[in-house]
Amino acid sequence: MEPANKAQRASESLFKYAMLGPAVLWVIAFTFFPIFSALNYSFSNYVLGRGITNYVGLKNYYAALTDPGFWHSLLITVIYVGVAVPVEVCLGFLFAWIITVGLPGKGIFRSVLTAPLFTMEVAIGYLGVTLFTSQGGLVSVLLNLIHVQIPWMSTGEGGLAAAIILDVWQWTPFVFLMALAALGSIPDEIYDAAMLEASSHWQVLRHVGLPLAWPVLTVAILLRLIEGLKTFGLPFALTSGGPGTSTQLFSIMNYLITIQFFDFGRGSAMGILYLIMVSVIITVFFQQMRKRID
Amino acid sequence: MDNLLWTHSKRGGKVVVYSIAVVAAIWVLLPFLWAIVNSFKTLEATFSAGAIIPFLNFRPTLDSWNEVLSDPQSINSLMSSAIVAAGTTLLVLVLGTPAAYSLARFEFKWQSKDIALWFLSQRVMPPVVVLVPFYILMVQLRLIDTWSGLILLYSTFNLAFCVVIMRDIFRDVSKEVEEAARIEGANLWQIFWMIALPLSLDGLIVTAIIVFAFSWNEALFASALTSQHAATLPEFILSSRSTQGVNFNVAAVNTIIAIAPPVIMSFFVQRYLARGLSFGAVKG
Repeated sequence: MEPANKAQRASESLFKYAMLGPAVLWVIAFTFFPIFSALNYSFSNYVLGRGITNYVGLKNYYAALTDPGFWHSLLITVIYVGVAVPVEVCLGFLFAWIITVGLPGKGIFRSVLTAPLFTMEVAIGYLGVTLFTSQGGLVSVLLNLIHVQIPWMSTGEGGLAAAIILDVWQWTPFVFLMALAALGSIPDEIYDAAMLEASSHWQVLRHVGLPLAWPVLTVAILLRLIEGLKTFGLPFALTSGGPGTSTQLFSIMNYLITIQFFDFGRGSAMGILYLIMVSVIITVFFQQMRKRID
Repeated sequence: MDNLLWTHSKRGGKVVVYSIAVVAAIWVLLPFLWAIVNSFKTLEATFSAGAIIPFLNFRPTLDSWNEVLSDPQSINSLMSSAIVAAGTTLLVLVLGTPAAYSLARFEFKWQSKDIALWFLSQRVMPPVVVLVPFYILMVQLRLIDTWSGLILLYSTFNLAFCVVIMRDIFRDVSKEVEEAARIEGANLWQIFWMIALPLSLDGLIVTAIIVFAFSWNEALFASALTSQHAATLPEFILSSRSTQGVNFNVAAVNTIIAIAPPVIMSFFVQRYLARGLSFGAVKG
């Protein structure tokens, strides 16, 4: 819009800042303040009821870095995200492709495959207990039919595997929807032309669908990675972090340290360290992704 | 069905595609069906997992539903969830939509794209990092275990999302329409309120549903900051899991109640979800 005169320009300027201002102030107040505040706590000794008693330098960071529980939670988180996200991306893309190929009844399949998207993570973990427990859980009962017994709930490995399976169930639809939109935006003529040359639609998938949908797919991977590193509710409701501490992802471990043991100093230090690691991972990934697309 | 991908596929290829679709559908539906079947069983009946056909294998009953729905704590948490999610959605739209419009329409000292990217970067931070400061802040403001405390927090986490996605949607509104209104004498606020917003209603509804779902499902802060009065469904489920263990029938009812509202809402807007969830990276 071209402002006609000075008065109009002034009112436009007032308008645009008045509209933008509240949101910017809100975000600054409620994200910058807590991060600086967390930094402050991470260098201090906090006693419940008395507040910060004194500053202890890097003591909390030292305590965090020498805590085996901290490193274990990082390992568990990396395994969780490292397995779940690639599986979700592959399955989501595969499902999107079979819908794009246009099998009869694709509308129904599309709705069904999207259904888990907004399910509550805690509820899925909670329902997961009844799916995976060896006492009459559906998965255990089904596996018993083929004489397979997996100790899902009584071992750390089993619990982690069960949580990852549920995570895949819940989040594959996210990749599915994005891949579907990407594949759907490719004109039919391109598919048709490719299909006339190819021997099957799998070749069209490899040489047309995948390369053209790849930019969108990388965005999906990035977003899944960001959300995956925050995972809390699903594994916590499924295993409560146990047996022992074996399935404590970072968010669960850090939550327990701060909310159950009220160790605010060490909890904050761990949080800051995690924030740094997550930012590095996401930034590196983002750069790589940009390079590939350009 | 004049898609060559399908019509020119060989028979074997079609069988493979169909098999994948059917297996995928079973995989997705199985947990839902399991929950539904168990919700109509008595606790004793849930011990025989193989009994899945109502009337034939077991006698369906509404006992579990009655048990859950007559528990004041579960009703209270259902209400808390609804109020917190609705309150958050409203606050986020009121704060975020004007900001998004401003970024979509006007020039700033910094590029509007960079400001949008800054909003987006807020999303990377894992919420647990700021658990301590928010916990202490809530104690100081006396907002522990209150709806307002949760609404305040959830709005913070969802505001960035709303700004980024609504900016993208407002950019699609034709400038010519707004220009015409301006010549007719409408002021900037009227253009926003009476033209841009109604024309972006689809996008606004999708944004609202996604924000509602995020708030409805949030567990970390709900669990840390609420216990009784303002306990939302995730906190209710987590605490009853640790105090009462897991009864299959009650777990099934609770699961259905907890997941139904956002899932049902999302069915109405499936077509637009990809765009919203990808922060506008996908034009669905």
